[in-house]
Amino acid sequence: MATAIYLEHYLDSIENLPCELQRNFTLMRDLDNRTEEKKGEIDKLAEEYISSVRNLASEQRVEHLQKIQSAYSKCKEFSDDKVQLAMQTYEMVDKHIRRLDADLARFENELKEKLEVSGYESPEGRGLKKGEGRGLREKRGPRGKGRKSSDEDSPRNKKLKNSPEFSDSLLPMQPSDVLDMPVDPNEPTYCLCHQVSYGEMIGCDNPDCPIEWFHFACVDLATKPKGKWFCPRCTQDKKKK
Amino acid sequence: MHSFLTQVHTPMRRLRRGCRAGVVGLDMGRGRGRGRGRGRGATVSLRPPSPYRLQLSPSRETLTYAQAQKMVEVDLDGRLHRINITDPLPVITEDEMMAQDIVECNSNKENSEQTQSRARPGRKPPNTKSRRRESKNSSHQSRRSGSQHHAQSQTNSSQQPSHHSPLPEPTFRVLDSLCPLDAPPLPASYYRFIEKTGEEQDREAEYDMDEEDLAWLDMVNQKRVSDGHASVSPDTFELLIDRLERESVLESRSQALSQSAVDEDAFCCVCLDDECLNSNVILFCDICNLAVHQECYGVPYIPEGQWLCRCCLQSPSRPMDCVLCPNRGGAFKQTSDGRWAHVVCAIWIPEVCFANTVFLEPVEGVKNIPPARWKLTCYLCKQKGRGASIQCHKANCYRAFHVTCAQKAGLFMKIDPVRETGVNGTTFSVKKTAFCENHSPVGSRQDGSGDETTEGRLVGGRGNRGQRSYTQSPPPPPRKKTPKGQKKGKKSPARRSTVPVLLVPQIPSHRLNKICTGVAVQRKNQFMQRLHNYWLLKRQSRNGMPLIRRLHSHLQSHKATEQREPDEKLSAAMEELRYWQKLRQDLERARLLVELIRKRERLKREQMKLHQAALELKLTPALILLRSTLDQLQEKDTAQIFLKPVNLAEVPDYLEFISRPMDFSTMRAKLEAHAYCSIGDLESDFNLMVSNCLKYNSKETAFHQAALHLREVGGAILRHAHRQAQSIGLDPSTGMHLPDSPNKHGFYQCTWEDVDSLLDPVNRLHMSTEEQLKALLEKLDLVTSMRSSGGRTKRIRLLRREINTVGYKQQRSQLLNGKEEEEEEEEGEDEKDNGKKDLVENGPLTSALTPGTDDSPPTLEPSCPALSPLPGDAPPEPPVLGPVMAGRRSPGRSYKRQRSSRSGGNGPSDDDADVPETPTACKQEEASPDVCPSETPCPPTNASPLTGVGRRTSVLFKKAKNGARLAKNKAAQLQNGGTTDGQTNGLDSPADVPKPPSSTVLPASSPAAPPTPATPSSPSPHQLRSRGPSSDSEGDKTLPLLFKEEGFTNGLGKDKDDDSDAIFNDQKQSAPPPPKRSRGKPALAKVPESQNGDSGRSMLLPFDSATELTPLDLVWAKCRGYPSYPAMVVDPDMPQEGLLHNGIPIPVPPGDVLKLGERRQKETGERHYLVLFFDTKRTWQWLPRDKLLPMGMDDTVDKLRLMEGKKPNVRKSVHTAYDRAMVHLNHVMNHVKGNLTFNPSNFI
Repeated sequence: MATAIYLEHYLDSIENLPCELQRNFTLMRDLDNRTEEKKGEIDKLAEEYISSVRNLASEQRVEHLQKIQSAYSKCKEFSDDKVQLAMQTYEMVDKHIRRLDADLARFENELKEKLEVSGYESPEGRGLKKGEGRGLREKRGPRGKGRKSSDEDSPRNKKLKNSPEFSDSLLPMQPSDVLDMPVDPNEPTYCLCHQVSYGEMIGCDNPDCPIEWFHFACVDLATKPKGKWFCPRCTQDKKKK
Repeated sequence: MHSFLTQVHTPMRRLRRGCRAGVVGLDMGRGRGRGRGRGRGATVSLRPPSPYRLQLSPSRETLTYAQAQKMVEVDLDGRLHRINITDPLPVITEDEMMAQDIVECNSNKENSEQTQSRARPGRKPPNTKSRRRESKNSSHQSRRSGSQHHAQSQTNSSQQPSHHSPLPEPTFRVLDSLCPLDAPPLPASYYRFIEKTGEEQDREAEYDMDEEDLAWLDMVNQKRVSDGHASVSPDTFELLIDRLERESVLESRSQALSQSAVDEDAFCCVCLDDECLNSNVILFCDICNLAVHQECYGVPYIPEGQWLCRCCLQSPSRPMDCVLCPNRGGAFKQTSDGRWAHVVCAIWIPEVCFANTVFLEPVEGVKNIPPARWKLTCYLCKQKGRGASIQCHKANCYRAFHVTCAQKAGLFMKIDPVRETGVNGTTFSVKKTAFCENHSPVGSRQDGSGDETTEGRLVGGRGNRGQRSYTQSPPPPPRKKTPKGQKKGKKSPARRSTVPVLLVPQIPSHRLNKICTGVAVQRKNQFMQRLHNYWLLKRQSRNGMPLIRRLHSHLQSHKATEQREPDEKLSAAMEELRYWQKLRQDLERARLLVELIRKRERLKREQMKLHQAALELKLTPALILLRSTLDQLQEKDTAQIFLKPVNLAEVPDYLEFISRPMDFSTMRAKLEAHAYCSIGDLESDFNLMVSNCLKYNSKETAFHQAALHLREVGGAILRHAHRQAQSIGLDPSTGMHLPDSPNKHGFYQCTWEDVDSLLDPVNRLHMSTEEQLKALLEKLDLVTSMRSSGGRTKRIRLLRREINTVGYKQQRSQLLNGKEEEEEEEEGEDEKDNGKKDLVENGPLTSALTPGTDDSPPTLEPSCPALSPLPGDAPPEPPVLGPVMAGRRSPGRSYKRQRSSRSGGNGPSDDDADVPETPTACKQEEASPDVCPSETPCPPTNASPLTGVGRRTSVLFKKAKNGARLAKNKAAQLQNGGTTDGQTNGLDSPADVPKPPSSTVLPASSPAAPPTPATPSSPSPHQLRSRGPSSDSEGDKTLPLLFKEEGFTNGLGKDKDDDSDAIFNDQKQSAPPPPKRSRGKPALAKVPESQNGDSGRSMLLPFDSATELTPLDLVWAKCRGYPSYPAMVVDPDMPQEGLLHNGIPIPVPPGDVLKLGERRQKETGERHYLVLFFDTKRTWQWLPRDKLLPMGMDDTVDKLRLMEGKKPNVRKSVHTAYDRAMVHLNHVMNHVKGNLTFNPSNFI
């Protein structure tokens, strides 16, 4: 079949992804092991310290504690490395996804054009597809409320009415449509509401924010605010300080 | 030639599976076509003659027309054979099956025919219209003339072609001289076929003229020439035809969709079978949609273009009636006498046969049908005498039925091939069996196709099919009577006219115009009309076949692909899309996973940190408590005075006074080194640090005050830490938790009663001051930690007051103590000190006791130490009896050393000043009985503290200036300073406690203030940390008399010291009187006057008013109509070139300001100070002393002033000005530190 060249390229590029993922994960695992070792060491040191603290001069105590301290700083280093690695990996996957999204959008558009040119369309097929999608969406009821109503229109009507939306639904893998994918029970939750991500999300500008991402609705936002934005919690914390 | 080749690839439009059949047809057609063309001696030979042809028929060109008609050229395996049609040909039985099939169709039960030889079809004249110059008529003739040929061939058998003559002998000779050249190597590929693109092909004319066209063009041109027009060139003709073709293709393309699609369920209406082989496809008539097998209808090859059944071809408009049956519809063939009959009927009726068994036409033998057969009555249609019927093959059954009726009714009709081997060789025949309804074999009725397992073909059991095929014709009786009527005139004329035209698309005239625009032809329109007509006719003659095949085939294939391709493409694309979406989902999942990992790692990191903190808490809880305490303490040191160790380079003499320096950083270092075991250790260091500061810095300095403040707040923090440590239960030796948690003593469960009872001094009698203080402080902490309520604020206030009281008692006792310890010699002075202290204490204390003054108790705390000459900075010591020299306290040991040089001479004068205050002091003492003993000596020695204080400061000056090497003469000066100092302290109190209510009691203390002449020492409170000699020197220079001479520049020579000495002496003399005056409790207002008098010589004497305001002091200046505003006192006499105050440039007052000041002073007779406001414009003002209040001495005062403004914006501006002033102060102070190093040298 006449696959678009860019998709071929994409395949080439993504070929390495599994290897890289594995490499990163192995590295992380390595670091994790070392951290665990260090932790064990620390525990031993602590035991030792507790048992002998009475007999230790203050300098010795300091020395001992410093040992623990240094072990901890090593651990922290490992942890930082791990976080870094995880972020890197995430970026990597994300990059691929973004590229795929772009390519897919292109592909779909081309496909659509082709369909239009040939004048061939199979509304039933599409309707079917959409029907499935809708079913899924309804299953995930709480997540995509805004979109459901628009889906009630028959696909054909929709196409006539507003083609952009139609094309939108033709590209089920657009970011917003990720919703349509089956729910992963392990999907990370975000926001004050502890739900999975959906719709537009906003990231807290505090790098140490424990939650990081928030649904617009949950933080009373309608549009993306200008400048830095901090989540309610971080704002509170900041005030306290 | 080209067209022939492409024919192979031309799929038939109306074929179900026509591919192979097409090829078969082609072979035959090719042979025929060629033979025809050449045999006729065509002028245009499209193909060069092959050598074989010459060899085989050398005399070909010489043949006559008649001879040529009897020749057949066959191209077998690339060789051309010319065969005379009369030649006997051997029978080839190689492909028996094929022959069988043909025979089956051609024979019926009674007269089975011998199969014909395979070569026979080759001899058949072509029945298609090939490209000949003849018109259609001839082709039709030839088509119908199969049997005539037969006859002809027999008659002409005598004529032999020349191939019987011997072959010519070849003669040759060998040339020796010629050596054959090697052929040049041939390129790997000789030719390359480059397919033209669609556009290229569109541009050129593809059409090739044939003979017909040439003839037509000749005719047209002849006419045109005769009419005087230019002839049309063949090229133009070709181009125009090409264009017409293209247009028609476009037209037909648009019409194509409307055409009926191939019916997959179609069945042959002859055999009622839907079986469809590639060699025997089902054809559909393009007009009536009749479906027949190739073999059943005798179409051995599939024609290009449209195919029409015979009746549509020859009489399309009117329905046909079969001569043999009453039914209409179905496949007809003409009989030899020009009527029509069903093919099935012809097959089944034994007497009837086909003349040509391949083409299955014409039907012969109708005349042979016996009359008995005509008379049979069909039991199905009950019609008698219409058509010929057959009878049931069952032996005794005579039921008759029409063949088509039987088909309609679905009777059992079966044709079995039979092979018979007789004398003549093997013959094939078919056995046809038909049964009536009653005798149909079992099973066939239910399921017609049930016993088709045999080779035979079942024609029957397909009733429904038959029904569909035929309709009963209206009973036209004449039909019956005219079986022999033969050609009825009505039929033949209709035939020609109704040749279907729908297959030739009409080209609209506007298109026609467009076509001919590019062509230059004279009389264009006329010609185009003719050409168009010609083209239409030509198309019709070809059954609507396009003249350019490529376009047609392109159209066909295009349609096919269009139908299928989008489908395939779409599904493929969808498939692909689905794949990508799956990939996307997988990726999304991967991202999710990584996201989770990221979160996990972050959590792990957090956990690690927490773990560390937890372990730290476990291992070193004490350390953490200490650390947090230290942090808290450090936070309170906002100015960061105690952050770093004292820089000994800046203050080389520090160690002389301070044996154990301490600061926060040192403490931290100790803490981290586990040097502290408990809060107590930390506290002691903290106290050491504070006391060091208090010791070294004179009490008026900012440092001193900061230390006091820090001690205050730090105390609370430390107490809290103590409590925490207790409740936590720490092991001091290990710094870890105790194994058992201690009982929580109910610290926080105390009631107002406890507090109230403690507030009552009587209840505390049993405790020492220290204990009292501690208890009170604890309660204070406790109460402040409670929820706020009316009772709480009240009690906090009371507690504060009580704490102050106790604190003072304690301080005093300590002072006494310290005095006792360190210097027993000067008891007199001690007494005075005590008195002084009392005096000073009175202010705050009394004010504290009066309810009215209580409004801001916390602020009292700092103010009290500030007021007291001997701030109770020292760590609590057991109270000791015996008066302590007050002044000695904070400056510490340095004073001790100096004291010996002091003369007590000033004492008496001070005495007087203090006397009036003793009563209040005594009253005060009742509140703290413990201290009473120490205070008893107060009354008599009231004045002495002043001198003591004075001495102390003076010593400070001296020390600061020249270290310990002060000359005697300075002692006097110092004393002067001392006295003034003491009095300023006294004066401070009214200034610091400006609240109106306090004045009711305060008069007692305020009188003490006026008497003091004391300006010289006034700088000290504003002096920054007195460590700096420079500031000290400044202090010196602040001496009023110095102003005259040269202001404040630091670069004073020693000679100036002498001057100052002199002045001091003067002052000494003038100083005493004021105290005396003060005895009479002079009002504040009076004091300046007296001083003015004193300072008559020098108008600028700074000590006119109640205080010691010196240039560069920061003050609250009150202008009429404005709230107090931060300002700086500026020396009007400062050098015009400007001046640096510790490196900070001080603005120079403009001349008019100075003049104004002079005038004003003259008018009022009062001394006015020049002040520079800290507003944005830095305005100047001259103000009397009573409008100025020192700033930065006392938080309360400052705060009050800040709140003074009535309007928010005014308050705000005051605030900003205050901030500015503070910034200025800070700068000055910092510069003091920075400049310290170089300044001493000036003095040495």
